Amino acid sequence: MTDLVSTPAPLQRRRRRKDKISAAETRAAFLFLLPSLLGFLAFMLIPIIASLGLSFTNWQLLKPPEFISFSNYIRLLTTDPSFFKVLGNTLFFTIEYLVLNIVISLTLAVWISSLKRAQQWFRVIFFIPTFTPTIAVSIVWLLIFTPGGVMDYVFQTLSLNVPNLLLDGNLAMQAVIIVTLWASVGYNMVLFNAALDMVPQSYLEAARIDGASAWDQFWKIRLPLISPTIFFGTVMTAITSLQVFDQIYVITRGGPGSSTATLGFAIYTNGFQNYQMGYASSLAWVMFVMIMALTGLQFWLQRKWVHYDA
Amino acid sequence: MVTEQHPDIKVTLKTAPWGDYWTKLPVLAASGQLADIVAMQSLRMPNFYSILEPLGDRAKADSFDVDAFDSSIIGGMSANGELYGLPYDVGPWMIFYNKDMFAADGVAEPTPGWTFDEFVTTAKALTKDGNYGAGITPQNFSIIASALGDHYVTDGTLDLTNAGAIAAAQSMVDLVATDKVAPVVASGSDPGAFISGRFDAGNVGMYIDGPWAMINKIDTVDFQIGLAPLPRGEGDLEAATAGSGFGISASSTHKDAAWQAIQVITSPEALVYLASQGRALPARTAQQVTWYDVAAKDVAGAREALEYSLAHSATYEITDNWNAVENLFNQYFPQAFAGSATAEATMNAVQSLAVNQ
Amino acid sequence: MTPEHRIPHQPPRQFHTIAIEVLSLLGLSLVALLFLFPFFWMVSNAVRGNNEVLAVPPRLLPNEYQWGNFVEAWLHLPFGRFFLNSFIVAGSVTAITVVVSALAAYAFARLKFPGREGILVAYLGTLMIPQVMLVIPLFLIISKLGMVNTYQGMILPMAFSSFGAFLLRQFFLSIPRELEEAALIDGASRLRILVSIIIPLSMPAIGLLSLFTFIGQWNNFLWPLIVVNGMEYATLPLGLTMFQTQQGTAWNFIMAGATLSMIPGVILAILLQRIIYKGITVGAGFGGR
Repeated sequence: MTDLVSTPAPLQRRRRRKDKISAAETRAAFLFLLPSLLGFLAFMLIPIIASLGLSFTNWQLLKPPEFISFSNYIRLLTTDPSFFKVLGNTLFFTIEYLVLNIVISLTLAVWISSLKRAQQWFRVIFFIPTFTPTIAVSIVWLLIFTPGGVMDYVFQTLSLNVPNLLLDGNLAMQAVIIVTLWASVGYNMVLFNAALDMVPQSYLEAARIDGASAWDQFWKIRLPLISPTIFFGTVMTAITSLQVFDQIYVITRGGPGSSTATLGFAIYTNGFQNYQMGYASSLAWVMFVMIMALTGLQFWLQRKWVHYDA
Repeated sequence: MVTEQHPDIKVTLKTAPWGDYWTKLPVLAASGQLADIVAMQSLRMPNFYSILEPLGDRAKADSFDVDAFDSSIIGGMSANGELYGLPYDVGPWMIFYNKDMFAADGVAEPTPGWTFDEFVTTAKALTKDGNYGAGITPQNFSIIASALGDHYVTDGTLDLTNAGAIAAAQSMVDLVATDKVAPVVASGSDPGAFISGRFDAGNVGMYIDGPWAMINKIDTVDFQIGLAPLPRGEGDLEAATAGSGFGISASSTHKDAAWQAIQVITSPEALVYLASQGRALPARTAQQVTWYDVAAKDVAGAREALEYSLAHSATYEITDNWNAVENLFNQYFPQAFAGSATAEATMNAVQSLAVNQ
Repeated sequence: MTPEHRIPHQPPRQFHTIAIEVLSLLGLSLVALLFLFPFFWMVSNAVRGNNEVLAVPPRLLPNEYQWGNFVEAWLHLPFGRFFLNSFIVAGSVTAITVVVSALAAYAFARLKFPGREGILVAYLGTLMIPQVMLVIPLFLIISKLGMVNTYQGMILPMAFSSFGAFLLRQFFLSIPRELEEAALIDGASRLRILVSIIIPLSMPAIGLLSLFTFIGQWNNFLWPLIVVNGMEYATLPLGLTMFQTQQGTAWNFIMAGATLSMIPGVILAILLQRIIYKGITVGAGFGGR
């Protein structure tokens, strides 16, 4: 399976050799790409430009938009009382969620791959939530977390003095994180599990003969070997976690107070609840810039910990 | 029904889930996709009247009898003094109560004209064995404030920080935080559904709802339901009402036909049909009797409570960003319920955020 | 997947290693049970009366089992129609996505043309675009095209996937060129090569892409909500929220509907788990630039 993954060396050599671009090949490429490019243009590029344009207007949906230059951006940086709180919440969520997601999915992946049997059953079980409509999943969790619900009941029965997560401004975000972890840890788990199984047995065998403990084998051999996969998982998870919305929409609606109001939630509230599309578009662009910055940061950091050559 | 009376008019239905209708409506309006007839709820009218056709002149020209409708809901279907929709239902908020729980605890059932203090005493008497006497949600604020005669909107702008509004918030928060006669609700989607569910389960003795909820309620619960008007403050009760109706899209190209159609779907026959299905309390005063006979047949005190409430009805006070204000209530009241913020701080927070939005 | 190789000089397994294995299996089973609790709670709430859902203290099992709720929820709203719509939308989006992505991926992986790297980078860049940013402009485009409340309106905007093009490109790159060079010399067209050589070899990646696209559309909520008016074209997630009305919330029906709506996903997950696992190894190698 390893050979499927990295670009084999002979192939790269051949590509360099064949540098000339032929007109026929360009024409063929254009035809192959055409459907995709049309979709890209109509359903991606134009909407993106439109949304950038909207962020410079005061469009309220019901009245025609007016150009107001940078007013939306000035407003969010100066007068909006909740913008920095929202930004902080988003970063807090992303960082805690990202770390926990990677740690938990990696733990599960290692655990599962260490088993001699029933591996595939565990993979399916932890993967199932990714297949379930978020709306449905969130409603179930809402019933679990609600004051007087199962969660409270369990804590009471165990005589643990844990306050209701949804009522405590400092804990509500933890509820959102739990739900998000539950719903999506399966994806990275399967990904890492697959990567771990691709680590050649001979490497581990050699290390075992040299007397390396299981712990050392993990940190010195398996982890570095799967670090490109972990990097990929981290980047993709970070992109989606900055956009967190569905769970918050169903479970906390940004509350209590504004303790779980994230950027995704603020865009929805401003755009679809308060009908300030122009302002919501400027928030969406802030989100886009954050995603790009975080992705850029991760690519910069990867040089320190990702090993591409085994 | 419409096509029967006007064979040239054909009505097709576009629907959206209740909570999401309001997400969709402005998007449709913005892209010119609005239907000719638009369903509108009184609480959303200030947001949306600009997409609707004013109806005053048409009503006058056809000498359409607007007075046959309950006056508070005609107020709700209007904005800036102009009528924008014909209502089909009206509902004053009232107290739904669990008659069996009152009987089991030997507590006297509420009667029209009762005061808020009596409400609190009753709730205390019902609170025992893990059950709560009352259920309160953040959105109840405006209804309770109005019932107590306090005002939170001054000249069309939000005014949550006046002494009366804060006092109303305080009495509501006290029920949950101090007296602990009502369960705490979290700020998730639709806390009302949770309180309503706790009522169904027999954990909550009284809660606030409107006549539109009655038919399902009777089907769901396995105890006797009673109905009482909201408790009043020192003065007379001001029972806020809400209701829904139909307007004509300002961009419609079939305005005359739409006008004919909405007259039919809010006609006495149509409303009797709705009421006989138990769906809604007719907005036309003369047709309301059908609802008592059908939807609220075995409900104790239904007729007295409704008549009293309608006699003391008041148009629900709202601002044009009411939607945002309600969302903020949802976010901020739970902190006060949990005891980690005061009622005054809650009102200040909502006021400042709502004005800046 | 990789079978444990029996190494001859490995010491015979001792009692305590077997004990550790059993404990580890039991431990993970416990974690898995805990993990499955929300599903248990979903089903448990689906088969009770609506007045039992929010009872305090909560009852782990219903007082009275109402298995009929599944039937009632199904009949209460046109659930069959919702299922059909979901199948049509998710199925079409998947089919179009796979075809369009495979064509684009082949161009990216095998053909030289000016601007190739630029387009690829632009595609990858769109992975970072927040979905919520596109909804309003997309809706304006769809309504200009007259596709509001149609299957096309639900399907087309969702069928462009830069992820799909990239995923398949990665997989195609790993297929040795020698396999198609013979066919090229024989004068086979590029399209023919793609269809008869590359695609059959890429089934794991195509399976993975299909599965993710299908499930993503099966669960999609926001876009159908915006495009669909009424029951006729409503999909399952939209249908679930229809149990929440002004007249009250039918929690038990929502849970029953949710249970029904996840059945196809679970079946697919179990049936296709081999393909997912094989395909995901492509993803596992993504880091390699």
